[in-house]
Amino acid sequence: MTQPSPNPPKAGVPAAKVVLLPDALFFARAIPMAPAATSAEAAVQAELGLEALAPFPPAQLYHGFFWVPGAERALVFAAYRRRFTREQVESWNGAELVLPAFAALLGGEVSPATTLLVTSADGLTAIHWDQGTVPAAVLFRPLPPAADDAEKARVRDELLRAAGGSREVIELGAPPEPVAAAGSEDEFVFRAEPRVSRLPAALAVTMDVRDKAELAALRRARARDVMLWRGFLGCAAAIGLIVLGWAALYGAGFWQKGRELKVAAQQPVVDQIMTQQSLATHINELSTKRLLPLEMISLVSGTIRPVSIQFLRATTDGLYTLKVDAQTTSPAEVSTFRSALADLPACEKVEVRDQRTRDNVMTFTLVITFHPDALKPAAAS
Amino acid sequence: MRSFKAYFLQRLLREKLLLVAITALVAVMLLSAFSKRAAAFWRTQRATTVALADQQQWLRDRAAIEAHAQQAVKNLDPARTLDDTRLVGELNALARSEGVRFTNDTPQSERSGQFAVHTVQFNLQKTDWESLKRFYLELTKRSPYIGIEQFSLQSDRASPMQLNASIRVSSVEIVR
Repeated sequence: MTQPSPNPPKAGVPAAKVVLLPDALFFARAIPMAPAATSAEAAVQAELGLEALAPFPPAQLYHGFFWVPGAERALVFAAYRRRFTREQVESWNGAELVLPAFAALLGGEVSPATTLLVTSADGLTAIHWDQGTVPAAVLFRPLPPAADDAEKARVRDELLRAAGGSREVIELGAPPEPVAAAGSEDEFVFRAEPRVSRLPAALAVTMDVRDKAELAALRRARARDVMLWRGFLGCAAAIGLIVLGWAALYGAGFWQKGRELKVAAQQPVVDQIMTQQSLATHINELSTKRLLPLEMISLVSGTIRPVSIQFLRATTDGLYTLKVDAQTTSPAEVSTFRSALADLPACEKVEVRDQRTRDNVMTFTLVITFHPDALKPAAAS
Repeated sequence: MRSFKAYFLQRLLREKLLLVAITALVAVMLLSAFSKRAAAFWRTQRATTVALADQQQWLRDRAAIEAHAQQAVKNLDPARTLDDTRLVGELNALARSEGVRFTNDTPQSERSGQFAVHTVQFNLQKTDWESLKRFYLELTKRSPYIGIEQFSLQSDRASPMQLNASIRVSSVEIVR
């Protein structure tokens, strides 16, 4: 009979969903293993060992094994599949681990030559370690619930004799129950007072007796679910961070408001200083840097100007630049005039722009930049 | 957390997918809104930082600017400086004495503390070169109390031998 274990709530943290199967349905044998074997090699050796031991092919068995790296033996255990009803098998859906009840007690330290006696509703199970962490034998004897103390003592003695020499016998009053693993999700923890057994998840996988193909599918689904959980957790964390960011922005808004008020308060004073600076520069320029437009025009239209070039308009641009719109009936002389201007010591740069010709009259703009201080104010005659 | 994880893992696959999708959608929406807000905030605070630094620079230079301004007006005789009315009057008188036609726009003034700068744009119409030159030379004698800022000269369309000049001048006024 399948024995689904209850998950007692402890401090709000649930234990993993584990199904512990009755020991009575399983046979268990220790088989030799190569100590240097890898986990994959151990799984193959365990299945080969089971094939040699069992009267049925492994495909007709629910089986698993217990082996820790470096151990010279493994404990294989199996049950004939037909001993479980369809309903019992269906009840394993969603379980993280399905294993015989005795297997739940294999985790943890034991002294050499120790025998663990576990009383269950069906009988008495003896787990015997001679040395090492893998038991040498697991034995079960049925015991009716109505059995008296004498009968129980007889079965107990028989089991201890069959197990071999035991220096320490630990009797557990009740079958093991899964409890929440504090601080770690990578192990299964079982308690059967006074013993606590811890099975690492990697080890527990090999002890799961369910169909191996089904287990592989379950593991894939589990991996997918864990990935989804991590995705969900990541999104939730991102939302949390964004909410924190909003809060930070909200707080920073007050800081920014304070700075904006400071800028607004300082602006009139700064405007005043800027105006003062601008006016000081302006007054300084009035005294030291004078615009000399007629001197510029006189220099440009003096003796070097060809007669055919007529000035239409002259405009100053800044302190040292003069723009002259002019026209000529002799376009070839524009270039000559430009060269002549460029040769003047007072001229820094001469450009000819916007040259257009209409009815044999060419209009153009001369842009002449003078060297600062090259022009001298004209004296009144 | 472990309880919640156990609860999540026990859900049907479609429920898990739905939970993840909804959470991801909410995260993306929040992130999008947050990034816009954060970018706007960053731009604003950056602009404010620049403005504050700029203001600090001006405030630090305040003493130097004031000293510069005092230095600029130090050599000017307050009695000879012109306010906007005196500026226009002076120009008008100058034009009349040189026999040129004079029109002017409204003067613009910029004031700061103890001094002001007045600017006026005026035109001399249909004048000959010699009159213009005399006017110009007389005007330059008023420097630095009056200065030419911009000058434009063109021949008159109807009478090419005559000139139209457009001049912008400014004057300094020391407020006593």
